Amino acid sequence: MASSLDRLAFRTKILTNHLLPTSQTAPPLLPSPCLNYTPPDLSDPSQFDTRHMRALLDGHNLADRDWLFGLITQSKLFCPRERGVGRVFVGPDYNQSMEQQREMTMRRIEYLLERGVFEGWVTGKGPEAELRKLALLEVVGMFDHGLSIKLGVHFFLWGGAIQFFGTKHHHEKWLRDTENYVVKGCFAMTELGHGSNVRGIETVTTYDSSTGEFVINTPCESAQKYWIGGAANHATHTVVFSQLNIDGNNHGVHAFIAQIRDANGNICPNIRIADCGHKIGLNGVDNGRIWFDNVRIPRDNLLNSVADVSPDGQYLSAIKNPDQRFAAFMAPLTSGRVTIAVSAIYSSKIGLAIAIRYSLSRRAFSVTPNGPEVLLLDYPSHQRRLLPLLAKTYAMSFAANYLKTLFVTRTPESNKTIHVVSSAFKATLTWHNMRTLQECREACGGQGLKTENRVGNLKGEFDVQSTFEGDNNVLMQQVSKALLAEYIAAKKRNRAFKGLGLEHMNKSCPVIPSQLTSSTLRSIEFQTDIFCLRERDLLSRFAAEVSAHEAQGQSKEYAFILSYQLAEDLGKAFSDRAIFQTFIEAEAALSSGPLKDILGLVRIMYALISLEEDSSFLRYGYLSPDNAAAVRKEVAKLCSELRPHALALVSSFGIPAAFLSPIAYNWIEANSWSSVQH
Amino acid sequence: MEPINSSNGGADEILVEQHSHAKIVLLNRPQKLNALSFQMISRLLELFLACEGDCSVKLIILKGKGRAFSAGGDVAALVRDMSEDNWKLGAKLSHMEYTMNYVMATHNKPQVSILNGIVMGSGAGASIHGRFRVATEKSVFAMPETVLGFFPDVGGSYFLSRLPGFFGEYLGLTGTRLDGAEMLACGLATHFVPEERLSLLEEALCNANSSDSAIISAIIDEFSQHPGLKEKSVYHLLDIINNCFSRRTVEEIILALEREALNKSNGWISSTIKSLKAASPTSLKITLRSIREGRLLGVGQCLISEYRMACHAMQGKVSKDFMEGCRALLLDKDKNPKWEPSKLELVSDEMVDRYFSKVDDEDWEDLKLPFRSNLPVHAIAKL
Repeated sequence: MASSLDRLAFRTKILTNHLLPTSQTAPPLLPSPCLNYTPPDLSDPSQFDTRHMRALLDGHNLADRDWLFGLITQSKLFCPRERGVGRVFVGPDYNQSMEQQREMTMRRIEYLLERGVFEGWVTGKGPEAELRKLALLEVVGMFDHGLSIKLGVHFFLWGGAIQFFGTKHHHEKWLRDTENYVVKGCFAMTELGHGSNVRGIETVTTYDSSTGEFVINTPCESAQKYWIGGAANHATHTVVFSQLNIDGNNHGVHAFIAQIRDANGNICPNIRIADCGHKIGLNGVDNGRIWFDNVRIPRDNLLNSVADVSPDGQYLSAIKNPDQRFAAFMAPLTSGRVTIAVSAIYSSKIGLAIAIRYSLSRRAFSVTPNGPEVLLLDYPSHQRRLLPLLAKTYAMSFAANYLKTLFVTRTPESNKTIHVVSSAFKATLTWHNMRTLQECREACGGQGLKTENRVGNLKGEFDVQSTFEGDNNVLMQQVSKALLAEYIAAKKRNRAFKGLGLEHMNKSCPVIPSQLTSSTLRSIEFQTDIFCLRERDLLSRFAAEVSAHEAQGQSKEYAFILSYQLAEDLGKAFSDRAIFQTFIEAEAALSSGPLKDILGLVRIMYALISLEEDSSFLRYGYLSPDNAAAVRKEVAKLCSELRPHALALVSSFGIPAAFLSPIAYNWIEANSWSSVQH
Repeated sequence: MEPINSSNGGADEILVEQHSHAKIVLLNRPQKLNALSFQMISRLLELFLACEGDCSVKLIILKGKGRAFSAGGDVAALVRDMSEDNWKLGAKLSHMEYTMNYVMATHNKPQVSILNGIVMGSGAGASIHGRFRVATEKSVFAMPETVLGFFPDVGGSYFLSRLPGFFGEYLGLTGTRLDGAEMLACGLATHFVPEERLSLLEEALCNANSSDSAIISAIIDEFSQHPGLKEKSVYHLLDIINNCFSRRTVEEIILALEREALNKSNGWISSTIKSLKAASPTSLKITLRSIREGRLLGVGQCLISEYRMACHAMQGKVSKDFMEGCRALLLDKDKNPKWEPSKLELVSDEMVDRYFSKVDDEDWEDLKLPFRSNLPVHAIAKL
């Protein structure tokens, strides 16, 4: 009623103005006041110690990380640019051509090398040295994924291959030179025709006992080495994966060292190299293709920790089983999966820190006429878009730390666990990252499209993560396969489950209350129960379906392939439960206080959003439709409870301002005319 | 000029002159080289806070009487208090001083500091955070705390870490002195005005009637010169400094310097190594960490962190080097401090970590900075 009267008055006024066009009371045009940028840091004080939280999230080598952050921000090589008053941002110049970007990557490596960043990366031993290396690689990856990939290929793949597949004389000959970049290594495994299925590669190496040399050959176009990082421009040496054929007998895949360029960068005889061309991201990495035209290498260049060939051409191996021999070759790829999983989470942190900081300073629409416009993050819908992803990123941050610990303290006995956990986490964390980046990009609106604001660009830079070092879908199938093997072994021998976190299968099946209250939903017990219930139920369903297919006469392999739907659900169930477990362990290690309280809230959000998002809870009846509705309601409530902590939660990521972007800070000033003129 | 509060002892140590648009604040303790006492800091804080809401003040000019702008804090007085085993007095002083530093860094009116003489320690803290810093041919800048067993505080971890390359690490660890030209070159000063033109500059500023940074800057520009660096200036050595002072640890910095010394003999390298060896090993390590962390933090967070460190240094539970440094240099003046631990390799990471953690004391609290609103763009950038 009142509003229709208002409208009436408004119309009357307009009509009056039309009728009396010479109105002298019309106010002169005034410039409307510019929107003010108010730093969210002033209005959203932190309720907990963000430094402590950062220490918890980063987990290790904080001072080393800060040192490297400083090395990057203080050098012109990292393209510092001032946007607005007093704010400097670093980041690669994506306006450069592919060739220029590659040269910049190499120059940055030389700078970091000269400052001692890589000391001990190859020659260092023990968990401490490995953690330091991982921490520094993570920081590099936050500056530019391409730079960390280029380093990863040289140190982890090339260097790792020599460490793991090589023996003493290889170590003595190559490791020190690798650490100092006297040689630049690459890793030639993938071929045009074979990626994830390494055992199918077609490159062939034979042995010539008359000269004591191996002869490496690319027999056909599909055997050309493909995507070899470092090969197109810089690498001098490569590890070549190839079938080893001795006197007509194929002994399977082996690794050899071959030189591909001389010290001046000229390509060696009998080697052909071509570029992989421009990519959707990582253009600072020189991916290339290699053909070997009967390239001769000394017998010593066989990396012989697993198998050797005597001077007279006898094949010798301590591991008789070809399956196990192949598994031994796959070991260095585990380190790749660890670093990929971890870097995916740091990428999500960058995206979320930018999108959430922006949403705490950008307003849109008023709720009341002439009222102030509302902060983006004060819209419940915007909270629902970003805060659950924030909670997941926290959970996966703890998962990544657990994976790192597992990796640096590895033993021969823990190999299987590392393989399964690293596969599951690599796939889950990289998928999460891509999804998070897309949501953050959209949450930043048009600003998200600008390369300088990073979020959109990171999508291209990190997309490859779901493919390299094992396709995510293939990895998840391997997880389910490994779980099935555990299941069958336990049932067959009637022994208890041990390892992979499957011990809960030995207990009686958890029962979910028929009516879930808010306090039940928030309890660790309920959350643990429902994650475990899903995993154990899906595992037995999966086993049943595979054996049903087998009973119908399908081969074991094909039965597994046919059961792909359950395999997918099971892989997810394992991963979610394992991630949840790392979260509650991190939480349990804290003494009570504000930090533990906030972490508890984040953990609840992680658990409940997982329940809400994954349809398997409803599909298999772990949640009734009523309970699923209760979960959904609780998530909305949690969003508003997390909202006041959003800024502190992203500040706790410990990412320096220079590594975020203009929209994370004073974006009005950064876009002002005066900053154009600078 | 008149004392702002003549009933209080030492009140005439800060003199204030109100012009129609500008407030001129004079540090008036020339016999002590304008070392900032508790009362002076308290008064400066009060003054700066009052100026924020006072529309008649468009600009604040801060200068010192005599041959110093300010040579630092009143450390001698502080140490006398602390030798009575009462570190909390020192903590109280730091609390107030860092709050003042923060208020200056985030002030809504431009502050022009005339650095015509010595600017050290607390003197730097009272000027470098302000919008404009005018150096002259008489300027001498240093953050010499490591030789006293302390570390560059008053926001040093913020402003030193923002200097080009690793010049900040160099200044903070060695306590090297800079002249006015060097201050301008590295950005500690925003302008260089010859001493003889200062009174004209002051007059022009008082007539400015503006708080606009661009206008104030243009006025100072009119009186400014671009002095060349001296041939022997350390700033010519920025490449070597970057190469050595970018190293991960203090030990590696010294190693890098020693490696440089093998390549070319150079008086600068040996004097640099000498000053590092004279400083407290604990101080060197916490200083390096503080600058490295500070580089990634806003000015408020830097001050909060420095407050933790200062309290630990004054409490003396991890190391008593601050008391020892003051004893050897200020009280007994034997210039022979006995640092404990005596060597860099004896200062563990855990010891360094403790300086950055909360102080274990019942009624100790982290530095609480005042809420700031209505900030100008350049202050927002410092958060």
